[in-house]
Amino acid sequence: MTDELELLKKDWQNKEFNVPKLSYEDIHKMIWKKSSSIVKWILIISILEFSVPHLLYLFPSMREGMEVYEKIGVSQYLFGLSVFIYTVALYFIFQFYKRFKEISVLDNSKNLMRKIIKTRKTVKHYVIFSLSMIMVTIIIMIIGVYLNDNIALAFPEFKEGLANVSQEKLKITIMLAIGIFGVVLTLFMGGVYFLLYGLLLRKLKKNYTELRQLEI
Amino acid sequence: MNKELEHKFVTELQDNQNIVHKVCTLYTNDRDSHNDLFQEITIQLWKAYPKFRGDAKFSTWMYRVALNTAITLYRKNKKRIDTADYESVIFKIKADEYDETEELQLKLMYKAVKQLGDVDKALVFLYLEDKNYTEISDTLGISEVNARVKMNRIKNKLRTILNP
Repeated sequence: MTDELELLKKDWQNKEFNVPKLSYEDIHKMIWKKSSSIVKWILIISILEFSVPHLLYLFPSMREGMEVYEKIGVSQYLFGLSVFIYTVALYFIFQFYKRFKEISVLDNSKNLMRKIIKTRKTVKHYVIFSLSMIMVTIIIMIIGVYLNDNIALAFPEFKEGLANVSQEKLKITIMLAIGIFGVVLTLFMGGVYFLLYGLLLRKLKKNYTELRQLEI
Repeated sequence: MNKELEHKFVTELQDNQNIVHKVCTLYTNDRDSHNDLFQEITIQLWKAYPKFRGDAKFSTWMYRVALNTAITLYRKNKKRIDTADYESVIFKIKADEYDETEELQLKLMYKAVKQLGDVDKALVFLYLEDKNYTEISDTLGISEVNARVKMNRIKNKLRTILNP
C-alpha cells in the first residue's frame, strides 16, 4: 500500500488538473462575490433572532395586543420582565459579538470548528432563554386571568356573548387558550430553530467529532 | 494601496491556483460545485489576505485557508450524482508515462481517496502535497503522533477499499 500511495503522490504532484485555468480577470471578479460560508449564515440567522421579535412591536396590531395585558392587570409585571429580558439579550449580543470576532479562517481546523460551535452555542442559549421567557409571559398571563375578578371586562367586544357564561367557565377557557397557544408557539419556534441549525452544522459537527476523537 | 493589494493577491492566487483546484477536485463531484468551492475559497483567501504578512510562503498559507473552507465553512451538501464522467476527465492519467498496471492502480487509488471522509481527505491531501507531519498536525490542530496514527489508519482503510 505504501508503494501505491507513493505512486499516487508522484502522479499527484506532477498533475496538471484538467480544469480550465482561471484568468486574472476571472479571479479578480471572484474576490468581490458574496461569501456563502456557514459563518455568514450563522451571523444572518442570529441577527434575525435578536431583532425580529422586537421588530414585531412596531406593528400596530401587536401594540393593540399589548393592551390585553393591561386589561388583565399584569402589565406592570410584564414591564419588569421586559427590562430583565432586554438586559439579558444585550449580554447575549455582546457575548455573540465577542465570539464571532474570534472566528478566523487562519486558525487550525480544530480550533476553527470549536469556535464556530461555541458561537452557535451562545445563540442557542439565547434562543432557549427567549423561549423560556415566552413561557414565563404566558404563565404570568394565566395567573393574571386567574386572579382577575371580572375577566369579561377585558374583552368588551364579546360582552353580549359572554353575558350568560359563568365567570369560572370563562376563566378556565381563557387560561387554557393562552396555555395551548403558548406551548404551540414555543414548540414551533424551537422546532424551526433547531432544524435550521441542525441542517446547517451537520457536516461541521461530524468533522469536529472526528478530529476530537483523535485526541482520545 | 488597496488596488495594489488587490493586484498582488490576484497575481499570487493565479500563479498558485493549482492548489485550490486540487482541493476542489477532492471535495466536490461535479464541475458546478468545483467552481462554487473555488469561489468560496477565493473569497476566504481574499478576506484573510491583509493578515498575510509574507513571513510564510503564499502557497503554504493557502493550504490552511483552502482546507478550512472545504471541511468547515463550505455549506453545500455534496451531491451524490453519477460522477464517473467528471472524474475521468479530471483524473486523466497520462497513458504514456505509466504502464498499464500502474495506470489501473492509480485510477483505483483516486477513486478510493474520493470515498474517504472530509478529515481523512484533508490528511491525504497534505500527505500527497509532501507536507511533513508537523505541518499536517499544525494545519488540522491535532498532535503529530495522532496525525501519524490517523494516516496509518487511512492507509489501512484505502487498502480495504481497494481489496474488499
